[in-house]
Amino acid sequence: MVRNNKAQMKIQQMAFMLIAVTLFFVLAGMFFLRISFSELRSSAELVEEKNALLLVSKLANSPEFSCENAFGGVKINCVDEDKIMALKTNIDKYSGFWGISGIEVRKIYPLDELTECTSSNYPDCNYIRIFSGSSAQSSGVGVSNFVALCRIEGGENLIQEKCELAKIIVYYGGGE
Amino acid sequence: MKNKLAQEEIVGFALIIIIMAVIILFFLVFYLKEERESVESYEANSFIQAFLHYTTECENYREYLSIQKLIFECEKDFVCLNERNSCEVLNSTLKGIVEESWKTGGDRPVKGYEMNITSGQKELIYFKEGEISASYQGAKQDFLSSGINVEILFRAYS
Repeated sequence: MVRNNKAQMKIQQMAFMLIAVTLFFVLAGMFFLRISFSELRSSAELVEEKNALLLVSKLANSPEFSCENAFGGVKINCVDEDKIMALKTNIDKYSGFWGISGIEVRKIYPLDELTECTSSNYPDCNYIRIFSGSSAQSSGVGVSNFVALCRIEGGENLIQEKCELAKIIVYYGGGE
Repeated sequence: MKNKLAQEEIVGFALIIIIMAVIILFFLVFYLKEERESVESYEANSFIQAFLHYTTECENYREYLSIQKLIFECEKDFVCLNERNSCEVLNSTLKGIVEESWKTGGDRPVKGYEMNITSGQKELIYFKEGEISASYQGAKQDFLSSGINVEILFRAYS
C-alpha cells in the first residue's frame, strides 16, 4: 500500500513537472514569436519607407531633375532648379511619363512665406509645383525626401552656384 | 547514499540552468545587434547628403562655400571674408537647417535631435535639442579630403 502510494506520488510529480515544462516552453515560444512578429512588422515598415524614398530619390536623380555635372562634379540628391523650371513650362510633353499624380519641390531652408514659382517671380520664390494632374492642388499619397536645390546665380563680378535645402514631394494614387 | 543522489540532482539542475542562461544570452546578444543595425534611416541619410551641398554665407576669394567645404575650413579655423569665423557660420547654419527640417514637439513624431561633426578626435560641431530617447532614426556619413577624415552623425529621436 505504502509502495503504491509512493509510486502514485512519483507519477503525480512527473505529471506536474511535464505540465510545468510544457507551459514554460509554450510561454517562451509565445515570447519569441511576439518578438519575431514585431520585428517582421518593423522591417516591413522599413522596407515600405525605403521603397517610397527610393522612388523619390530615383526621380530626383533622373536626367530631368538632377544637377549632373552642371555644378562641378556629380552630386547625389541634387535637383537643378533651372532645369525643373524649364520642365514645368514644358510639362505637357511629359503627360503620363512618370505614372504619378503630382510632383512638387518646396524649399525648407531658408524659410520664407510660401510663394509659388512662376517665370515672372523666379528665383524669388520657394515652391515649385511641377505638375498636379488635372486639379490645382496635388492629391493622393505624398512621399517626400530631402534634396539640394541648386541654380546658377550671377552677380556683378561673380557667377556661381547657389544651393538651398528643399524637399521633393511625389504624389501617387490620386488619379492623374 | 541519499545525500549523494541529492547532490547529483543539484549538479544536474545547475548545469541545466547554466545551459539555459547561455542560450538566452546568445539570443539576446543576437537580437540587440540586429536592432542596432535596423535604425539606419534613408531619410536621415538623404538629409545629410542634401545639406552638405547647401551654400552658406561664408565666402572666400573664389566662392561662397558649401557646408561640405565649410567643414574643412572650420577644421583650419578659417575666417570668412565677412570676418565671421567659419565654425560659427557652420554652427548657426546647421542649427537653422535642422530646426526647420526636423521640427520637434510633444505632438510631433520627432521629439528631439542630435548632430555631431568630428574631425579625427576633434569635435567641430555638437548640438542637441528636445528629448533624447532610445528610439531614433539616424545616419552617419564619413568623408575624406586632404588627409582630413570627417564624420557626420545625425539622429532624430521619436
